[in-house]
Amino acid sequence: MTEAKLIMSLMFFTMATAFYLLTALCYMLYWFVKREWVGRAATAFAYIATLSVTMVLVSRAGESGHAPFSNLYESMVLFIWAMTIGYLAMEKRYKTKELGAFVMTIAFLAIVAASLLPYRFKSVEPLNPALQSKWKWMVHLLTPLGVQKYALGWLDFHVFTTFVGYAAFAISFGLSLMFLLREGFELRGIKNLLIDRLPDSRTLDELSYRAIAWGFPFLTVGIVSGAVWANYAWGTYWGWDPKETWSLITWFIYAAYLHARVTRGWRGRRTAYISAIGFLAVIFLYWGVSFILPGLHAYA
Amino acid sequence: MEKKSGETPGGPGRPGSIDETVRETVREKAWYKRLGSGVWRFFNSLKLTISVLLTTAVVSIAGTVIPQGQPVESYAVDYGERWARFILSARLNDTYHSPWFTSLIVILGINITVCTIERFPPKWKTLLNEKTSFNPAIIDRLSTREAFELPHPSGVKNTLERVFKKNRYRIKSNELPEGGATVYAWKGLIGRFGSDMTHLSLILILTGTIIGSYRGFRDFLPILVDSTVDVPNADFSVRLDRFWIDYYDTGQIKQYNSILTVVDGGRDVLKKQIWVNEPLYYKGFRFYQSSYGVAWDRIKDAELALKRLDKNEIDESFNVGWGERKEIPGTAYSVRLIGYVSDFAFDRNTKTVFSKSGEATNPAVRLEVYEGPSLIYTPWIFLNYPGAVQAIPGAKDNIVLAGFRTIPYSGIAVNKDPGTNVVWAGCILMGAGFFLAFFVYHRRIWASVEPVAGGTLVRLGGMINKNPLGFEREFKDIVEAVRRESGGQTPKGSMEEKR
Ligand code: HEM
Repeated sequence: MTEAKLIMSLMFFTMATAFYLLTALCYMLYWFVKREWVGRAATAFAYIATLSVTMVLVSRAGESGHAPFSNLYESMVLFIWAMTIGYLAMEKRYKTKELGAFVMTIAFLAIVAASLLPYRFKSVEPLNPALQSKWKWMVHLLTPLGVQKYALGWLDFHVFTTFVGYAAFAISFGLSLMFLLREGFELRGIKNLLIDRLPDSRTLDELSYRAIAWGFPFLTVGIVSGAVWANYAWGTYWGWDPKETWSLITWFIYAAYLHARVTRGWRGRRTAYISAIGFLAVIFLYWGVSFILPGLHAYA
Repeated sequence: MEKKSGETPGGPGRPGSIDETVRETVREKAWYKRLGSGVWRFFNSLKLTISVLLTTAVVSIAGTVIPQGQPVESYAVDYGERWARFILSARLNDTYHSPWFTSLIVILGINITVCTIERFPPKWKTLLNEKTSFNPAIIDRLSTREAFELPHPSGVKNTLERVFKKNRYRIKSNELPEGGATVYAWKGLIGRFGSDMTHLSLILILTGTIIGSYRGFRDFLPILVDSTVDVPNADFSVRLDRFWIDYYDTGQIKQYNSILTVVDGGRDVLKKQIWVNEPLYYKGFRFYQSSYGVAWDRIKDAELALKRLDKNEIDESFNVGWGERKEIPGTAYSVRLIGYVSDFAFDRNTKTVFSKSGEATNPAVRLEVYEGPSLIYTPWIFLNYPGAVQAIPGAKDNIVLAGFRTIPYSGIAVNKDPGTNVVWAGCILMGAGFFLAFFVYHRRIWASVEPVAGGTLVRLGGMINKNPLGFEREFKDIVEAVRRESGGQTPKGSMEEKR
């Protein structure tokens, strides 16, 4: 498909990029000056940025005629979307605006990375045979409205849940890094205005666990829905394809994290390390497997 | 493994008081018991869980880096003699089915089972029979607690009960003998069992995969259009009625489709269009669209022609169907089409014809040539080398192959896995387990109302099994509501927190 047909999504994408930059800057500023109104502006920009990426996904779906989860570029946008929503939910619940400086910077960098992807990872392609797996009940439901081509299927569900999981793990990873930073200062008794403004180390540790407590079930649902889909498409629910195997590896690492925490009472430093290892596995699962190891999964 | 004690599980014996033979059996038993309980202790360990989970994660990487299931020689080419020997002897060419990988999974399975047997019953007992009357002094031992005084005692207990109920807690109240009351409130108890449900689900999934590996099977059936094949390990057959490919406007392939009919007991019982992602299901067997191609050993029909050697010209061609016998127009000869290979090759040792590949690189057909009623010759003739074989012995003329029509086949993967439904049941149970484990927290609040000099002392203390940050806020809100609704004033003792 030509660039011309992607004009709407490109426009929203540019808008999202701009607003992520603004959001990240505002959160930074808030962290430095700690003024209430700066914080409020930051959150407002974050909502606009979220709306823009939502619109990128929506317009992309409109342009391609299928759910916008079918190539690397779209998956990055989805990842950014989920991460921002996750962060905003956390901010609302736990009042942790100082963390926005980190999360939104990561989101901004991610969206820049997505825009730099080579064209072949961005273009809208019709789905190949294996990727067509719409839910029949949804097709039936949408047919009277004439929009049955937008019916979702296992592919969409699988990619969506997996990426929500990735996003939660990314947030947990960021929090673990901040925990290590903050705890380092606390242990050595160093005072630092900016570091002291971050939530205390116990809060960071707890929030990092909360993020994993969301990411783990989502990753699990992602793996299981992948198995359901594989059972339809390839005739077996598990084939030890590199992507599958790496998702299992990641799953085991986070299961170890949960057990260390819940059954052995590990907290803080040691669990932060496991969370970091887990996220390295996620990165490999997302990028490494696609580019290094051959397999049946096209991109993500 | 937890190092709890080094004592022998048999308990202390009293050697002086028993005779030799009895002592012998005691020692024997102790030895068995010791081993048995040593094994039990080994598996009843959560350190083992964490190490096995991480070990399995690490060693699984091998199978994603080393190509799996390749021909043995290719490892020597890729990795060199030495490494290839190592890879093959460690079964790293089939990592996930190797004995050591299976052992890791089995250890996990036993580990879960043993830990559940050890931990679940006591947990069930304590959680269900939790003491609901308590000494108010225990509140001071909780890290999340608060206390305030009221000038008047009236109705505080009711207020507590009302506030707890409004927050969807269940409550158990007690009057204290010396005046005052205690209220125990809790919710989300069931969340405690999320982990057990998760582990049970893992055992189910494991069971499902084991059933699948012993009782399931997979096969591949290339079915020619209009032909019927018997399904292996089954008492029915399937027929392919049609195969076709759908294209997008751009020319890219959109979908592969087959129409399959199940023939059971000689009757057509089920007909369905299948495509990638849409299998046919019958009697526990699934049929998937997996690939397609054209037959390499059969054709629909062949185009033959008589070549007049004297005039060096070719007669008008005629058509012969597979297995059909046709007269060659204007001669006394007739031919029957009996064979085809797509890429002709001849094995000198076995003296048989075979096809080197599935591609139509060197197509050849075999004919039976008759003169009148009698069979005189059965030659192979080639599309690429017309006239190279003298098809009619001793005649002036020859037969040439002018063309043929292939038969498409649809590659159908057939699969039976009776464990699949067990696996799905496990997955659903796991979902429920996760919901309970991660989103339902067991919260408990102990509250006491006691008369003190000049008023009433209200104390509340709470505990949650996880997510303390969220709970601290809920606890504060509850305390606030109780204080407000019972007309309390400024707090006497304020929230203290231990880290
Ligand atoms: C292999 C042997 C395993 C053993 C012995 C084991 C044991 C345990 C124990 C004792 C608990 C704490 C129970 C409680 O506090 O209520 C627990 C929690 C849990 N386990 Fe396992 N486990 C094993 C494997 C797994 C695996 C492979 C998973 C994969 C998903 C898993 C998922 C969980 C979950 C989700 C929890 C709850 C964690 C939380 O509350 O945050 N377990 N496990």
